[in-house]
Amino acid sequence: MKNLTRSKLSRRNFLIAAGVGGAATAAAIAGRALTPDEPKAAASNDKRRGKGYQDTAHVRSYYNTAKV
Amino acid sequence: MTPLKFQAPEVPEDKARAGYYALLARLFYSGPDAALLATIGETGEIASGAEQSALADAWNKLAAAARVMEAEAARLEYDQLFIGTGKAEVTPYASYYLAETGREKILARLRGELVGLGLARSEGAHEPEDHMAGLFDVMRHLISLGSEDAALQKQQGFFDRYIARSFPGFCDAISKSEKANFYKHVAHFALAFFLVESEALKVF
Repeated sequence: MKNLTRSKLSRRNFLIAAGVGGAATAAAIAGRALTPDEPKAAASNDKRRGKGYQDTAHVRSYYNTAKV
Repeated sequence: MTPLKFQAPEVPEDKARAGYYALLARLFYSGPDAALLATIGETGEIASGAEQSALADAWNKLAAAARVMEAEAARLEYDQLFIGTGKAEVTPYASYYLAETGREKILARLRGELVGLGLARSEGAHEPEDHMAGLFDVMRHLISLGSEDAALQKQQGFFDRYIARSFPGFCDAISKSEKANFYKHVAHFALAFFLVESEALKVF
């Protein structure tokens, strides 16, 4: 068994060293900037926005959870 | 069907990864509008710790390109690159880069996996499921499920099967295309990001 705590840290350290951590702010801003192309989708999305993350137009128009 | 809800992961690096997948999914699904270009441009220079990383460098170049790009031109460029009657200049479907033949087999396997993940293509989408943007959305979804080993294993498996061996050819095709301008920077950033992903998904 590998040391889980240690490996988690090394994964995060790797991501930080690679610049993912440093660029986190940019990613968050860009993630929020995903504005919809279709006005219809935009209206339905507004209610579902949470924690600063907004679904992409693509996400809304492409994949849905199929848990009916 | 219930629309998919995305929740930002708690681990900051995974939040960043989810953000990048979301952005790339958006940019590879259709050309950016003015608001998206503006926001990418506004992020400004990113310094990544002590030394400049390839990822930060690629992002900074993308941001610089976004600042001088007009939305209409970007949209036109997207259409000329990825949409075409017959064969597109650059096909955005992963299975094309995974195998010259047997695309149906790959698609069938992918569809099976999506069912297993509780995901489906929405009624409004006509593109086959192996569209790069769709695959990136799946990754974003998997990242949003958490940063535990089981979640990471799912991410790793999906990435290995559909993205790891298709992104080099896809990004390369964009870089080589004479029709690409803004998307060369998108491809450059995507390449840098997926190289990081390839390594990061091995280290857990």
